[in-house]
Amino acid sequence: MSDDLTELDRLMSMMRSIDLGLIVVDENFTVKVWNDFMTNHSGVRGEHLIGNNLFEKFNDLPKEWLSNKTKSVFMLNNKAFTTWEQRPYLFKFKSYRPITGAADFMYQNVTFLPLSSADGTVDHLGIIIYDVTDVALGKIMLNEANLALEKLK
Amino acid sequence: MPTKILITDDSSFARKQMTRALPPDWDVEVLNAADGKEAIEILLNSAPKVMFLDLNMPVMDGYETLEAIIKQDIEVVVIVVSGDIQALAVQRVTEMGAVEFIKKPIKNEELSKVLHRHGIFELNASVISSKSTKALNQLASAEVMPDAIKIDMQEGYQEIANVAMGRAADLLAKLLNSFVVMPIPVVNMIEVSELRMAIQQVDDNDMVSGVCQGFIGAGIAGEALLIFNESSYEDIAKLMKYVGEIDEVVEVELLMDIANILIGACLKGIAEQLDINFSQGHPIVLGRHVKVDDLLGRSANRWSKTLTIEMGFKIEDKNINCDLLLLFTEDSIESFNELVSYLIE
Repeated sequence: MSDDLTELDRLMSMMRSIDLGLIVVDENFTVKVWNDFMTNHSGVRGEHLIGNNLFEKFNDLPKEWLSNKTKSVFMLNNKAFTTWEQRPYLFKFKSYRPITGAADFMYQNVTFLPLSSADGTVDHLGIIIYDVTDVALGKIMLNEANLALEKLK
Repeated sequence: MPTKILITDDSSFARKQMTRALPPDWDVEVLNAADGKEAIEILLNSAPKVMFLDLNMPVMDGYETLEAIIKQDIEVVVIVVSGDIQALAVQRVTEMGAVEFIKKPIKNEELSKVLHRHGIFELNASVISSKSTKALNQLASAEVMPDAIKIDMQEGYQEIANVAMGRAADLLAKLLNSFVVMPIPVVNMIEVSELRMAIQQVDDNDMVSGVCQGFIGAGIAGEALLIFNESSYEDIAKLMKYVGEIDEVVEVELLMDIANILIGACLKGIAEQLDINFSQGHPIVLGRHVKVDDLLGRSANRWSKTLTIEMGFKIEDKNINCDLLLLFTEDSIESFNELVSYLIE
């Protein structure tokens, strides 16, 4: 019995410190879960956020876009994805390498997961935020190089 | 006197599944039809009491069959059994006289309840269910199966694709509040260099956009490729009640939204039927304003053969069409086959 508890504890520790943003909100965007990645990059601690509305604390989040995007997740019980190519970021965070890095902000890929309650209805939304700054910069630079080559032709 | 029943479905795999789902102590004579035309002939000649009808069939589909039954005043209890579970589909067949709509894949208990509900067959409380039923024996002799159940793998895949496509169409229909036309999915095993041939629903000269998303799970890996005909953007925007100018950013948004829905639903449909779970990678826009050939050009041919399932989706009365291509790696086939064979057991 005590072994099960420890495994769960270990899993929770990993979830808290994993290098991805993990957020859970309900249908009204009341924050239920906020991990260390989010705390550190946003500067807002979980204790101040949990139980409150996400948009109140982060008023530069694209509220309408987010509501539309996640409507189908709630309604259809389907995952949704958005990549840096559609929207460079959801939360405007400084890039992980603010001094030697070439990016002004963190490029992000986001996954939206439907989370259901015991009776099967989707009542919560899981948001996973991936830092894809390196990938994005690589591609952008490649495109610029290609364009330059085209001009030279 | 055994009750005559007719199972109408173009997939012999599905007909066998249906037969297996029948209550074991029901005294029936099972007749089979592969399309609506055959079904009508059997209805006129043998007068079965009950017909289980699929919707997606060549030659004459389920809707046309229901029309013919009304026109020719044929007396039969029709139960529609289909992977196409859109609300509008259910509504239409009910209006056309079907007494019930069962979602594929069929479960024994559900079928028994339906039969009980319509007074077709009362389940005996002291039923002892046995694997070898009278119906199966009849089936064996009717369809000439030499060894124990020798199923054509192609058919198994076909049926899995049918059901998965039905779910995807249902979600798309809910999102766009329209009726989705579903041609029969095409299952093929082809050389990767011939990938272009797997895409039958899009013309060579159409301008298309493509999104691809990888998936992996239970020894099966592959990519889902959504090819979207660009003439569709305006109509899609209207259906999704999108207000405003449709610029490039918006086009990508719409494309991604449709891709998320269709790919997600199809993969979920397949995973549920095989009782497995898929991890999905992030979707990537493969190309925009290109011809289909250009879209596929850049893939590295690391394996020679791929199993493909092509599903075309069209919205009724609108100029919206897209093609979903599921590509499975060659080394997935063995695992896939094994999982499909469990389904048959």
